[in-house]
Formats: sequence, C-alpha cells, structure tokens
Amino acid sequence: MPAAQPVRKRRGILGALSLVAIGIGLYWGLVIAPPDAYQGEVQRIMYLHLPSILTAYLSYFLVFIGSCMYLWKREKRDDILAHSAAEIGVLFTALTIIEGSIWGRPTWGVWWTWDARLTLTAILLLIYAGYLMLRSLIEDESRAASAAAVLGIVGFLDIPLIHMSVYWWRTLHQPPSILQPNKAPWENIAWPLLIPLLINIVAFLLLLFYLLSLRYRLGEMRDEIRMRRLEQSA
Amino acid sequence: MELLKHTSLLLWKDFLLELRRRDSLLTMFFFGTLLLFVFHFSFDLPPDRVAEMAPALLWLAFLFTGTLGLTQLFQVERENHTLEALLLSPLDRGALFLAKSCFNLLLMSLVELVVMPLFWILFNLQGWNLLPQLFLVTLLGTIGFCVLGTMMSAITLRARARELLLPLVLFPLMIPVILATIRCMENIMSAGDLGAAGSWLRLLLGFDVIFVTVGILIFDQVIES
Amino acid sequence: MGHWSFVALAYGIVWSVIVVYFFFLKRRYRKAQMQLSALPSTRTIEEHEQT
Repeated sequence: MPAAQPVRKRRGILGALSLVAIGIGLYWGLVIAPPDAYQGEVQRIMYLHLPSILTAYLSYFLVFIGSCMYLWKREKRDDILAHSAAEIGVLFTALTIIEGSIWGRPTWGVWWTWDARLTLTAILLLIYAGYLMLRSLIEDESRAASAAAVLGIVGFLDIPLIHMSVYWWRTLHQPPSILQPNKAPWENIAWPLLIPLLINIVAFLLLLFYLLSLRYRLGEMRDEIRMRRLEQSA
Repeated sequence: MELLKHTSLLLWKDFLLELRRRDSLLTMFFFGTLLLFVFHFSFDLPPDRVAEMAPALLWLAFLFTGTLGLTQLFQVERENHTLEALLLSPLDRGALFLAKSCFNLLLMSLVELVVMPLFWILFNLQGWNLLPQLFLVTLLGTIGFCVLGTMMSAITLRARARELLLPLVLFPLMIPVILATIRCMENIMSAGDLGAAGSWLRLLLGFDVIFVTVGILIFDQVIES
Repeated sequence: MGHWSFVALAYGIVWSVIVVYFFFLKRRYRKAQMQLSALPSTRTIEEHEQT
C-alpha cells in the first residue's frame, strides 16, 4: 500500500526542518562560537560528538521500547521500529567513535585510548552491530524478530552495568596523568559554547527522526513485499 | 513452587543424559586443560608475573570452554527434534530456562573445580588456601555467564554461522562479569580477601539477579520451535 | 591556534557518512517502491471496501 500522502508530506517537512537546523548548527558551531581557551579550534568537534552519542543512546532506547512492545503484542510495526532504530543507532555510534578518535589526536596525542568513554562507545557498537548481524543471519522473519527483540532488551538493560564496570575499572586503575583523558572535555561549559551545542543537539535529533521515519517506511514496504510474495506463492 | 518442580525435572533429565554420554563434560574439561597448555606456551611468563595474570588467564579459559558448552546446550533437543515436544508440554518455559542454565552451570563448575587446582599446579602458584574463595567468585561469574549464555544460545538456535554468532553477541554483554570477576580474584590473590573489591562483588551479584529475573520473564518469547 | 585540519577531518567524515547513508537509504527505498508496485495485492479490494 502506498504511503499516505499526509505522512510523506510530514516527513518532507521534518527533512527540511532538520536541514535548516543542521545548517544553523554548522554555522554557529564553526563560525560564531569562539574557540576554546585551552584546546583551540579542535574543541568544535564537541558540537558533533555530544549530539552523536546522545542520538545513539536515544536510538537504543527506541530499540528497547520496540523490542519490549514486540514481545508483548507481537505487532510487526514494533519490530520494524526496533530494527530501524538499531541500524541508525549503529550509524551514530560509529560516528561518535570516529569523532572521539579525531578529537583525541590533538588533545591527548593518540588516536585511541582505552578511557572510559571511548571504551563504552566501542562496546555499544559491538552489541548493536551484533544485533544487526543476528537479524541478517536468521532466515525466518518472525524468529529473527523475536531473537532480535530479546537481544534488544538484554543489551539495553546491560548498558548501565557496563557503564559502571568500565568507569570503575578506568578510574580505579588509571594512573594519574596530566592529560586526564577521563575528564570530559565538555564539563563546565561556558554559555557561548552551550548555545551552539544545544542547537546541534536539536539538529541531530531532528535528523534522527527524519532518517528513522524513512527507514521505518522502508521496513514497512519490505514487510508488505514479503507478504504479497507469500500470497502469490500460496 | 511449580517453577522449581518443573526446573528440577528438566534438570534431572539433562543430568541423566549427560551421565550416560558424558560428551559435553569431557570435551569441556579437555578443552579447558588444552587452553592452559596453550597459554603456557604463548605467554611464557616469569614466575612472579604468573600470579598477576592468573585470574585473567583462568577466566579466558573458562569463557571459551563455557562457550563450547553453550553451543552444545540444546544439541540433544535439536538432534532428536524433541524441542517441539518440550514446548507443547505444559511445562513452564521459565523452568526450561532455569534448567538449561543450571545444567550449563553444573558442567562449568565441575570443569572449573578441576581446572583451577590444575592451573595452580602447572603454573607453580602459591596461596592454595585462597582457592575456595576464588572458586566462589568464579562461580558467581559463571552464573552470569550461564544465564546470559543460555538466552543467547536459545535465540541463535536457528541462525546461520551459529558457532560464530553466539560468542559474537554474548561476549560484549559479558564485560561487566569479566571485569568484576577478575578484579575480585586479583584482590583475593594479592590481599588475601576481597578488601576493596566489595563493590565489584555487589555488581556481580546484581548482574546475576537482574538477568536471572529477566531470563525467567522473557524466556517464553525466546524459544520457539 | 591551528588544528582546523582536525575539525575539517571530523566534520568532513561525519557529514559525508550521513549523506552516503541517506542516499543508500533512498536507493533501497526506491527499489522497494518499484518492487511493491510490481506485486499486485489481493487485499486492495478489501481495503476499498473498508473505506
């Protein structure tokens, strides 16, 4: 069934809005905002990094909700939501790691460090990349959906535990260092830096919902295709 | 109480089957020992460093051995196509979850019970009196492993490349357990008791409690024929 | 202070990846639309009857 016209129009508006927000965010973050006193221009990567990780966490929360709803009501649309959110979540998590790595190079002198935040993000990526792999390796659609839903729930519930264990591990065993990679660069943000940060967060969230709606519609269509093919062969 | 009754029924069945064939137990035991040998050659540690590395090496060995056991977990049901029968029966699926987890726990603890002293002998370690405490901590970690592992084993039953997929999805989820267990063991070995590792132990216990509960609640949905 | 190259690298990679993903998504979307229109549905009649 074709997507109803109002839905496509709403999605188009969402897309336009996110484009505008992204544009404003880019301009404000790169041009208007002042450079950081200590880190200089490199600090501008924060306007990518923080929104990216927030978007990823929100995506994974949506995976969790979709998974719970699917196991409860067994409605296909919840499964489509979970799958779409997982795919986009993995995208933003990968971006977060890349941004963190690039930010780390001039700041700490290395491309990678096993500090709490980067490690956590890497683990998140592993979990949800595993989710996507699980889905693609199970033939039967409904079994894949149930299996993925379980992983979506268990994975999300594990996140706080992983947070705790990785933070304790890094803070109890990290020798004191001048660079202190564990200190978040965005703690104690001054107002001129906070505004572009908030703008970029909004922009990324709008982008998330736009991509999500596209991906969700794709999932719906694929499901419809599958059903029609089954009908034909019946 | 129904749950416990069903659980013990299923557990007894698996236990009897294993008693007869002893496939899983023996393979796991030999694999665990083999890993110790491989570690010895790979790491070639001076005697004073071995004690530092011991918890990590042991846990690596148990992780891989346990994964072996997990892939075998539903093997009997798969070979004989008895899974459908189990699911059609009025047995509580939460009981199936508990039974399978306990069965894997049983296998792993038996293996650990033998491999840990073996490790002490092969690597010439001191502190034999610490072994009971270390074993207890290992047991807690193993519970977490078996609980999550049973869930992951069940959902990957019909997946392609299952033997690769199972560790792929399981290991990232296991990180809190790995960290907590090894930290506790390190503390026991260096200080003689848990000491500062108290919070790690609580994390481990929390992990076990949370995922046993989650497992019982959703195992209904996990396993379908 | 310099370091604009790192900023450019980060922003460049991020937005390229997002744009690529968007086009990848669009392409799958269009393909699905084509497949969907090629497959007749026996249920459209019921849909019409419902509305």
